[in-house]
Parts: sequence; C-alpha cells; structure tokens
Amino acid sequence: MLLAQAPIMTDRPLLRVSKASKQFAPALSFGDHIAGWLGQEVDQRIVHAVDGVSLDLHRGEVLGLVGESGCGKSTLGRMMAGIYPPSQGTVQLDGVPVMGAGKKPLKTTTRIQMVFQDPFASLDPRVRIGETIGEGPLVHGLVDPANVGAYVAQWLETVGLPAEAADRFPHQFSGGQRQRVAIARALAMQPDVLICDEPVASLDVSIQAQIINLFLTLKQTLNLTMLFISHDLGVIRHMTDRVAVMYLGRIVESGPTLQVYDHPQHPYTRALLDSIPRLVTEGDELVVFKAIEGELPSPLAPPAGCHFHLRCPFVQERCKTVVPDFSDHPSLPLSGRHVACYFPIS
Amino acid sequence: MSRILLEVEGLSTHFMTRNGVLKAVNDVSFTLHEGEIIGLVGESGSGKSVTGFSILGLVDPPGKIVAGSVRLQGRELIGMSEPDLRAVRGREISMVFQDPSTTLNPVLSIGTQMRLALEAHETLSRQAADARCIDVLNKVGIPDAARRLGYFPHQFSGGMRQRVAIAIALLNHPKLIICDEPTTALDVSIQAQILLQMKTLAQDFGTAMIWISHDLSTVSSVASQLLVMYAGRIIESGPVRDLLRVPDHPYTRGLLNSLPDHASPGQPLVQIPGQMPSLIGLGAECAFVSRCNQSDALCQTSPALRSKGARRVRCHHPVAGDWQ
Repeated sequence: MLLAQAPIMTDRPLLRVSKASKQFAPALSFGDHIAGWLGQEVDQRIVHAVDGVSLDLHRGEVLGLVGESGCGKSTLGRMMAGIYPPSQGTVQLDGVPVMGAGKKPLKTTTRIQMVFQDPFASLDPRVRIGETIGEGPLVHGLVDPANVGAYVAQWLETVGLPAEAADRFPHQFSGGQRQRVAIARALAMQPDVLICDEPVASLDVSIQAQIINLFLTLKQTLNLTMLFISHDLGVIRHMTDRVAVMYLGRIVESGPTLQVYDHPQHPYTRALLDSIPRLVTEGDELVVFKAIEGELPSPLAPPAGCHFHLRCPFVQERCKTVVPDFSDHPSLPLSGRHVACYFPIS
Repeated sequence: MSRILLEVEGLSTHFMTRNGVLKAVNDVSFTLHEGEIIGLVGESGSGKSVTGFSILGLVDPPGKIVAGSVRLQGRELIGMSEPDLRAVRGREISMVFQDPSTTLNPVLSIGTQMRLALEAHETLSRQAADARCIDVLNKVGIPDAARRLGYFPHQFSGGMRQRVAIAIALLNHPKLIICDEPTTALDVSIQAQILLQMKTLAQDFGTAMIWISHDLSTVSSVASQLLVMYAGRIIESGPVRDLLRVPDHPYTRGLLNSLPDHASPGQPLVQIPGQMPSLIGLGAECAFVSRCNQSDALCQTSPALRSKGARRVRCHHPVAGDWQ
C-alpha cells in the first residue's frame, strides 16, 4: 500500500542537505571583548543546534521532521528554507545553494516558502491580508498589478476562504482562518517546496483536523513537496510519506513513516513513540504510555559519542565515545531506512 | 465510595466586557470525592480554566462569579472573605499552572519560595521547614534536594521547574490540587514522567485533583471521571472509560473522531465544521447547533443536562437512548 502511495522518485532530490551544521554563539559582552583583546581565554557558550545533518527531499513527497523541543528541528527547517545560512555544509535546491555567499548571505530563490507555527505573530496586524498575500507575487513579477486582485482571490479560495476576506485585517480572523491566510501567502509565491514549522500546534483539536485536511487536499491538487515539522507524532504519522527523527541536533533515524512507526530501530524513536499517551479503544487499559528516563542534555555541552547514550537502555562502551554514523548520504529512494545506532532494535 | 470533598453547583462566572456579557462559565455543577481525580477537558475558550480559577475565588474584574456555590467539605467558598480564602488557598486547595517559568519567582531561590509557602500557613523552625521542603522535593523526583534548595528557577530545566511547582503545591498536604494544563508546556518524554508521578502522588497522599487540559489522552491517563466543556457549559460527563468508548454527545464524538489516531494515514480526518460561537450574546439555542450534524428544530432550545447512571449529557439527540 505504501509503494502504491509513494510518488515517483527521480534520482536527484529536489532539496538536498549535505552535512549541514548550525551553531549559535551569543554576542560577547563588552568585558569579554576586552578580555579577548588582552589575550585572555574567553569562555564562549556555543549552542550546537544542528550537527552534521544530511537529508534529501524528493519532488512530490511529504517529509516529516519530528523531535522534542530544542532538538534543532526548527533550525534545520529554517536552513532548508534559506532563512539561516548553515555554519558548515550546504543546502541545495536542484544543485544550486539556496543562499548566496558572503558575510550576510541572502536567500537566492523564491521556490521555497514557509508556514510558521503562530499565525498571530506571522501576519502583519496593520496590513490587509489581500496585500499580505499579493505583495510577494507582485514584487517577484508572478502577477501584474492589474490582475493581483483576482490572483489573491484565487489563492484565498484554494485555502477555503471567501474572496472578500482580502479586505480584512488579521484580527478579524480566528486562529484556524489565520493559518489558512499564512498558507495562502506561501502558496501564492508558487513554491516548489513548502516548509511547515508546527503549522497546527497552536490550533484546537477540532480546528487542527480542518487544517490537516486542507494540507492533504493541497498536497494532491498541487502536487506539493513539503517538509512538515512537528513534535506531534500523531500528526506526522497522518501527514507524511517519510519521517526523520531528530535528537539533540542529529537525525537518529529516518525511513518510510509507517515502517518507522511500526518497527522503530533506534532506541530513542521507540522510547519517544512509547511515551505518548494513546487512547486505546479495546482491552483493559484505556491509555498506554511509558516514560523515558532522564532529560534532554543541554545543546551547550552535548555529550560525546551518541547523543542519546545517557538515556539509552542498551548503552555500551562504544556509544559513549564514537558517534554512530548515519550512513554516508541518504540519497536512496523512499524505501531506504537509516538508523544512527550501533545496536539497532531488529 | 469515599466521602464528598467538593461540591460545585450552578457555578456561573461572567466577564463584563465592553461588547457585552461574556458567559465564560455557565451553570457548571459537579461533585468530587476525596482522593478522586477528575478531568476537565475542552478547547480554548470553553471555560475550563475559568472554572478552576472560580473554585479558588481567583476571578478579577471585569470577571465576576454571578451565581452558584462551591462547597469544600460543606464549607461555602463563594462569598468567603479574602483572609479566609487565603487560608484555604495553598493549604486546603492548591494549584499548579501551565507555565512553570512564569509561576516561579525568578529572583528567589526555590528554598525561599517553598519556605514562604509554608510560613503562610504555619510557624516552623528553619530546620523543620527545610526538612519538609526536602521531603516533598524528593517525592516529586528531584535528586539531591538539600543542595537544590539554594538553586534559582533558571538553574532548572522546564520539566524540573514544573516538578518544583508541583512540590510547592504539595507542601501543605492539600486535600485538592487544581492542575491547569500542567504538562502542556513540556515535551512528551517529560510529560510521561510527570503524568506517572502525579498519579502515584495522588494515591500516596490521598489528594484529589481537578486536571484541566485540552488533550483527551493525557487527561484520560490520570483521571477516573471526565467532564467535557463546550462554550462555558458541561456538555457531557461520566467515568472516563465509558465516556470515551461510547461518547454520547455529538461534540465529544466529533472530537474523538478528529484525532489523527482514529483515521488511516493520508485519509481525510473527520472534521467538526465551523468554530465555537462567541461567548458574548449566546442565544437560547444549543451552543453546538451550528456545527452539529444531528440538529433539528428541537435544538433551537438549549437542552437540559440529562442523566443515565453515572453519565450526564446535554443534548436533545444523544447517541444512545434511555436518557432521563
């Protein structure tokens, strides 16, 4: 069933992330600067948000990126969208880097667009939404000024809003409707890739279902390629063809979604899946879940070796020193599974 | 069955806004027994948090408790004087909030904050107070508690901060803890740890809890009774297992069916159309009527709460029959 669903893969991925890392270094204080000039060692706290991640996104697929807060999934998403330049490694769209070179690089393409988590923060409250949606396409010449009204109306209807909505301000919409506006704004740029960072996390359950259904429809009618970032494993299972599980800056497992969910190979994936309270409709237990021991280590000082070894029930000596390799480059077609573990669950 | 701890009857809390009266909580009644955990679920704006705040008298203008009674072991809390209420808050009923990074004072060590909570209700020597604090910190799973008393909130992770907040709530051995979305701000792996711990603590201390959440599955993992709220009213209640396996209100049924777990991957989810009506100027009709697929002429009048055994439902057309 899965193969029948899978879109046809070409050899070359649409979007390729190669060994990309991102560190954030907070600006040094004035005192630290002086200490630096005087030749003192300055202890700079560097956050290792993403650590050597390789990932391919193929045309027509929906890839899920799942992990707990602070695991680097949003940072990776923003690197793929051309918002953050990678500190090391590359992100390429059809073989061309998505960001230019130089000290303050800019995004070089409009073919990747993003939908953010909070539609209350991502829309300008003082601009009518018709203008919000139409501005990008006008600037980039996707539509001429005479036709922009009709163009905006067309995208509003695509996301299930009436054409008259163009004259309203964001505060006149509910959370679910605002998220529709944010999706229309991204789609109006006619992107090849849509990066969605927790697009349903801030919505109520009944509204969440409406937006998930909208994404499912759009995926079919527009043949969208999507990266779907979420901490909600249920939503990821429902929405995606393939999933990548992140832990503390690294991808620990990836593969076709249902295979990963039914037979997780990385101990973290299994623990994560077990820790979600799930309603069971049959049997004695109503809700089943198990807790993972310990907490996520700080990305300021990630542990050596496998990042999960502090919490892993199957830890061995080797895990504490040598980073398990996530096979060299996951350029395999959809069927490929990868696990960064010395002792995967068979 | 154990003795009745809390009786809430006809509780109504309204907010007098510029645009009119907002009926946040509308005629809410329920009973809580000693040591029982009751789950209060609903979407944002359904009135579940305001219900929790109203029980503790924590409603500020423009909000006002306009009707109803809240009795703790027979003692009426509505209309009680502020000093008397203070003696109840933190000692007999305590509360755990959603976001531990805003509920703890960032400039006081947690030891100081915990001692303040103790001293508000009794006089203790420093040693005795510290011993009590260390004891509860150990119970909520914070290792090395004696040293941690000197720590400030920023030195703890989010999960650990929430444990501290729970420890403070437990300090005076309250009879009831109101938990308002206590695990929503936490990651799933930490959430699972806290859920299991709270369940054990409730058993060990014999503490009753009102667990407020939008997430049906987390509530159901701790609670034995469930109250489902919609637009300020309880629309369905009953034992968790019965209610979730055979929901009788179209809203509860829709909510359960809209969870991604209940559909095969990639298939459209069963969605509830529309959104919750504004709580200002609610009409005489059933508040769910515009979103309901069972509605007819009868639904233009607000349904009364009907009961069947331990179950209650506010609907003219419940799924199963035999309702009184």
